[in-house]
Amino acid sequence: MTDDRTLGRLTRREAMALASAAGAASLLNAAAFAQGAPKKGGVLKVSANANPSSLDPQTGGAGSDHTMLFPMYDTLVEWDYETLKPKPGLAESWSFTDPQTLVMKIRSGVTFHDGTPLDAEAVKFNLERAKTEQRSNIKADLATVASVEVSGPQQVTLKLSQPDAALPGILSDRAGMMISPAAVKASGNIDRKPVGTGAYQFVSWTDNEKIVVKRYEKYWRANERHLDGIEFAIIPEIATGVRSVVAGQNHVAYSLPARQKAVLKRAAGVKQATGPTVYCQQIYFNWGKPPFNDIRVRKALNHAVDRATFVKATLDGVGEPAHMNLPSSHWAYDAEVARLYPFDPAKARALLKEANVPQGFELDLIGYTDQDSIRREEILIEQLAKVGLKAKFTNGSIAEMSAAFFGKDKKGVGLLSAWTGRPDPSLTYTLMYSKNSYFNAGRADVPADLPDALTATRASENIDARKKAFARVQRIVMENALVCPLAFQFELDALSPKVRGFKPNLLGKPKYEGVWLES
Amino acid sequence: MAQGSAIIVIGRRLLQAAPVIVLATFIVFGLLKLLPGDVAVTLAGDNATDERIEEIRRIYGLDRPFLVQYGAWLWKAAHGDLSQSILSGEQVLTSIARCFPHTLLIVAMALTLALIVGIPLGAAAAARPNGLVDRAAMMLASIGIAVPNFWLAMILVSLFALRWNIFPATGATAFSVSPADAINHAILPALALAAGGMAEVARQTRGSLLDVMSSQFVRTLRAKGLKTSTILWRHGLKNVAVNLLTVTGLLFNRLLAATVVVEAVFAIPGMGGLIVHAAIQRDFTVVQGVVFAMVVVVILVNLLTDVLCATVDPRIGR
Repeated sequence: MTDDRTLGRLTRREAMALASAAGAASLLNAAAFAQGAPKKGGVLKVSANANPSSLDPQTGGAGSDHTMLFPMYDTLVEWDYETLKPKPGLAESWSFTDPQTLVMKIRSGVTFHDGTPLDAEAVKFNLERAKTEQRSNIKADLATVASVEVSGPQQVTLKLSQPDAALPGILSDRAGMMISPAAVKASGNIDRKPVGTGAYQFVSWTDNEKIVVKRYEKYWRANERHLDGIEFAIIPEIATGVRSVVAGQNHVAYSLPARQKAVLKRAAGVKQATGPTVYCQQIYFNWGKPPFNDIRVRKALNHAVDRATFVKATLDGVGEPAHMNLPSSHWAYDAEVARLYPFDPAKARALLKEANVPQGFELDLIGYTDQDSIRREEILIEQLAKVGLKAKFTNGSIAEMSAAFFGKDKKGVGLLSAWTGRPDPSLTYTLMYSKNSYFNAGRADVPADLPDALTATRASENIDARKKAFARVQRIVMENALVCPLAFQFELDALSPKVRGFKPNLLGKPKYEGVWLES
Repeated sequence: MAQGSAIIVIGRRLLQAAPVIVLATFIVFGLLKLLPGDVAVTLAGDNATDERIEEIRRIYGLDRPFLVQYGAWLWKAAHGDLSQSILSGEQVLTSIARCFPHTLLIVAMALTLALIVGIPLGAAAAARPNGLVDRAAMMLASIGIAVPNFWLAMILVSLFALRWNIFPATGATAFSVSPADAINHAILPALALAAGGMAEVARQTRGSLLDVMSSQFVRTLRAKGLKTSTILWRHGLKNVAVNLLTVTGLLFNRLLAATVVVEAVFAIPGMGGLIVHAAIQRDFTVVQGVVFAMVVVVILVNLLTDVLCATVDPRIGR
């Protein structure tokens, strides 16, 4: 969540059309489709937004790393681009033989870039390293995994300390990225020498400058991989990244702020791609502190915000209003919960009056200094003023202000920021709404029925049952107004006309599966 | 000045550099530590708990007292070891060795441009004070100083890179890999940087030349029947050389600082990008290393300027 980028949008219809066209092209890679048959070869040049924190998925920490990790590492579980539903990856299949036992069948014939075969031992090694390595940042992700057993040459059995149906989703993220055990044993630290099973193998990483990967000849899905390699030019300045695509030096710039849309429109010969993401802009409340320790004040804010206008004004019209922490295209979205807080300034004022909040009350909020954040703040100041609240923002850099709000200092009562989303929604809810989690800024008590409701989302692997469980969690979170969701921002990518087969995904972290270059 | 005294002067200046380096790095270290948030928050990743952040502070020794951390850094630096980046694990010296040539190339080209254009412009202006050339040149100079270099950089990119495709819009090539390609990449950034410098050099040249031209020895030269242009180019410029050298030294140092913004616009992996990225992430070993290197460069440039001045004008070294 330490990334505040605003993503842009086309109209939803355009977005869907683009996404489905791109999707069709990458699925039908044999026949002559609108985009033609994929051509082999070529190096895709990508303008990357940040230097990775590490190329070891277990020791890294930034959400911006994934797009560079995915080409090198396959995950045990993968997800559907449009809905994030889990689907087989390096694990061919999996099942819960009982709620506390997850058996995974590992694909045969897969090798790491150093030639080491992927087998059950390798998976066990990876999961155990993630849990025990001192520098591992994903210990918490695998907290429910009590032990990993090799139950066959290509089969692992995960014994869980409690039922955890979120595990497949978790294993589609960092925890599921398999690293060559031989490479780890040889050098210990593989931050700068990554070895995975992915379509591309590591060539070089020059800090803040470039990451180069080349095709891995023995890749298990070699037919679906068309490029010779990918070069990530690290360009943190977004406008510069876009210019590099306009000038033809790079093929792709991703996760662009909405305001770049106008720039792209003017640039001849640059394509746009867009699609919904789980990236949620929201106001985090510190509900341990007045005035947000009063549920009526939190509810009032949710009624006071005109989300449609907010989306229009800050995301150039085509974001999606957020009514909970999941976007409408997500498999666990609940339409009932979405109707809890219609825009209703009168009701907001009444709630504030009931809570004895005087007119002109000053809300001590925290924000960031970048252009897009300031724009969002201006809209909110205006909207909250209409119900008699004076929003006063203290701004600073993302790292600094997030630490001030969530960390020990406990500055401010609310933070205008974002939640970048997680492959499995149970992580999203657990991380934000547990008594002792970092993103519960006040470390304040949560509604009494919430912990059980959260546990229930992990109890069954049946997707309909999970959907019901999530509806309950979302209802509890929103009825208690623990957050004020504002908008989901769509992914906006600038693409050279040569790029084919690219499609955005709901996670908002681009993958380059099936991408090819027109010569 | 005599050979021996020159060495003494240089030696004394280098000795004076040590406290400057310590003071500069200490202040920067202090400022970084005063800011809220630290590198542990970045290292801990997106879903970190307070305990995890504390644990990382312990692992990396970030929980030690301020002076102990600074002392440890200084001790290593004094032994030629600038430590390694906390975030990427790369040796700071390696990062600097990689990034500095990019910055140096742009600064050197910008400086050359500033001198090549600025000196003739200033001299032409001084030849006929308040004449048409003078007014035009000084107006240009005012614009050059007033225009922000990042804005100029973006205008240059949109014209020369995006519209006409003459120069690349972003990136850089190492000079050691391909000198021609490196220069090709550096032209637009150097132009953007040079504008202010050209103006400054032109103004200084004009001002100093006017001073010289109204001095007594010029009156004598005129009385001997020399042409104004001969006096200006042959005698005048020689006399403003010291002034120009001083301006050039200062300009070099200022251009070095100005690259931070221009490098961001052109995505050049130079010193500017290195220190900005490190400062934002609170990767203090890198910040310290860059500050250290920059202070050394500035001190060396000042020293070189002084030595050159003394060579050009023997009165100075005495």
